[in-house]
Amino acid sequence: MNNFEPKIVAFVCNWCSYAGADKAGGQKLTYPANVKLVRVMCSGRVDPQFAMEAFREGADGVMVLGCHPGDCHYRNGNHKAYRRFRLFEEMLSQFGIDPKRFMLDWVAAGEGKKFQEVTTTMTERVRALGPLSLPGQVVREAA
Amino acid sequence: MSEKIPSTGIFLCRCGTNIAGFVDLDEISAWAKKLPSVAFVETHNLLCSPDGKKFVEETVAKGKAQTVVVAACSPKMHEKTFRDSAGKSGMNMARVHMANIREQCGWVTKDKTQATQKAKALITGALDRVAFHEDLEPRSMECLTDIAIIGGGIAGIEAALTAASAGRKVTIFERDISLGGAVIRTEEIAPNMECAPCLLAPRLAAIRENKNITVVTNAEVTDVLGFSGNFTVKARKKPRYVKDNCIGCEACFEVCPVSVPSSFHLGMGNRKAVYTAFPGSVPAAAVIDRENCKHFTDGSCNACVAACPFQSIDFEDTGGDIEFKAGAVIIATGSDTLDPSGIGRLGYGKIDNVVTLSEFERMASSNGPYGGEVRLKNGKTPSSIAVIHCVGSLCAEEGVSYCSGICCMTAAKVGDLARKSNPQAQVRHIHDRLVFDGPQMQAFHAKQVAKGSVFLRSTDLRSVKVSGKGGAISVSGSGFETVSADMVVLVTAIVPAKQASRLAELLNVDLDSAGFYKPDHPILHATGASIDGIYAAGSCASPATAAVSITRAQAAAGDALARLVPGRKIDLEVMTTFIDEELCAGCKLCISVCPYKAVTFDPVKKISMVNEAICRGCGTCAATCASGAATARHFTNEQIYAEIGGVLHE
Repeated sequence: MNNFEPKIVAFVCNWCSYAGADKAGGQKLTYPANVKLVRVMCSGRVDPQFAMEAFREGADGVMVLGCHPGDCHYRNGNHKAYRRFRLFEEMLSQFGIDPKRFMLDWVAAGEGKKFQEVTTTMTERVRALGPLSLPGQVVREAA
Repeated sequence: MSEKIPSTGIFLCRCGTNIAGFVDLDEISAWAKKLPSVAFVETHNLLCSPDGKKFVEETVAKGKAQTVVVAACSPKMHEKTFRDSAGKSGMNMARVHMANIREQCGWVTKDKTQATQKAKALITGALDRVAFHEDLEPRSMECLTDIAIIGGGIAGIEAALTAASAGRKVTIFERDISLGGAVIRTEEIAPNMECAPCLLAPRLAAIRENKNITVVTNAEVTDVLGFSGNFTVKARKKPRYVKDNCIGCEACFEVCPVSVPSSFHLGMGNRKAVYTAFPGSVPAAAVIDRENCKHFTDGSCNACVAACPFQSIDFEDTGGDIEFKAGAVIIATGSDTLDPSGIGRLGYGKIDNVVTLSEFERMASSNGPYGGEVRLKNGKTPSSIAVIHCVGSLCAEEGVSYCSGICCMTAAKVGDLARKSNPQAQVRHIHDRLVFDGPQMQAFHAKQVAKGSVFLRSTDLRSVKVSGKGGAISVSGSGFETVSADMVVLVTAIVPAKQASRLAELLNVDLDSAGFYKPDHPILHATGASIDGIYAAGSCASPATAAVSITRAQAAAGDALARLVPGRKIDLEVMTTFIDEELCAGCKLCISVCPYKAVTFDPVKKISMVNEAICRGCGTCAATCASGAATARHFTNEQIYAEIGGVLHE
């Protein structure tokens, strides 16, 4: 599928990865427009249901980006995210979703470059996997 | 969805050319105007300018929309700005939302067409999300402005004086029979060798004279209830058997027939069964040691009663329970030094005249057991002293894995203190790493060398062995020639106080891997403990010199004073989580994940509850809740699901 443009949703935490994304912006470091960011206060807020909802709504790939371990603004919310999403990755294949369609990583507030790298890498990774097609996926009329 | 979707007004900001140059705002404007929930679309050149802010305020005042989406820069830049402007026209802060089409769209997308498409997706996400927003109310809470201090050493003393000088009531709870802690046992403070009792005496006097400060000694804290701004500290005062009117005249000491080893003198020297900690103690009143006092052990003695000019003896004393309400609790319980008895090769407890640095300094102090003379067991003054550094430090097997930081500086005092008793005393330090950081410390080290103290580096401190008998001791090890000495001073590691874990459990605060109090944030809030409103000042947080302990105490007190201001309420986090009683299954998973211990369990209702006074709004409990009972304000599941759908379907 040559024209396939993957849809990627990235959950980013207010204090680190969201700020890292802003930093990439300030440095004008471009990355694929395929990636849309959803802001939370802490990666610990990200319920695995959110990731499943993203797939259900048509995302081909999902990312959760939090603070580096030890640096969480709320002490250890990112540790909880790590535990949850390691289990989530194990479960994904049982849902018929390739675990490579999910990425958990850490981006600090100053890491504009890393933000650019992970989003670019993820987009290309999911592009190679092709579109995700699941029974029950939401299909909406284009506006 | 049967609910009416609130109508939303959209502001598009050109940001000069910073957005307009990267995203086609005309196309977005035309597209947005056709959307069913959109009440208006206004484009402005620079919304954050005074003119722009006025424009937002006036447009909102027209009342055409119930919510507003500002598609512009990052909310981290101007969410507050636009909330304030819209707020001036009566719009609740929660109804103002931003779509980041600059830093996270225009600026990071090469192709303008793609950027425009992405902006539409982000704006759709914002529109769909904002439909589920609910008003957020600023919250504040009354707070007590008095301060409880646990621990009456130098840190507790300085914290008390700082708080009391701001007019607050302070209660110091001290486990020992007097204030003073570790510093009162020292003689001189490095590097300038200031006289410790001279520094401390005026501070103790200031405590005694300050009407705002209540000193409770010989007491243990039994419970700390409540939370930041509203604590209740409970303590049990042990019986003193001496009334408060005792002035410490020591008349009873003369006649007391019982003499036991003094803990103030670290076992060297004795005290009577009725005693004070030291002359000038606070409080001045004496204490009777019930376990050794003949009145209690065999009913045979009342000598002190007869000798006392003020009728201060009270054998009927039963102690008492104290309760003190405060807005903040400052822990200042200090630290201990490692007991080197377990390190066999150093001979502590087996070979005479092998002493710890604390014992050495106690002897050398003018209020010490021998009037300031350093003495060998045979009563003579030592002529040759070997000082062994890092005893129990940097070695997990023998003690702790860390460097205790302050002991080299403290050990370097041995030369001056020894030479006071015997100007010809030879002092040799056996060390590996040496810590004398900064110009003053370095100069101190150089001075000791100039005065004759010798520093010998061992290539392996674990090889150092003390052998022989008291008076003729050999200290050998790799890297240096065997040293003969008549006294050995062991520089022992600084470790958490024995009571630290008990108190931590009582207060529900975290300890670090070494057992010291863990800070709220190691850089931004180092004197805060892991729970709001509780502080850890002094060496209970980590090994600290007197200077550092005092700085920490003043910082903790200052922080508490700034937060708890008479007549002013404390602002609370707005985006807290609340738990629906009907839905909560009482599984307590939320309690296990909260980093701030803000969730507690109600054993009667059998449900979990969030204390919204200390919740910081991370939302981890909301993500954990399997019942959907925990709702994170402004980041609800509904709102996030809506945003997910929106960004994927522009």
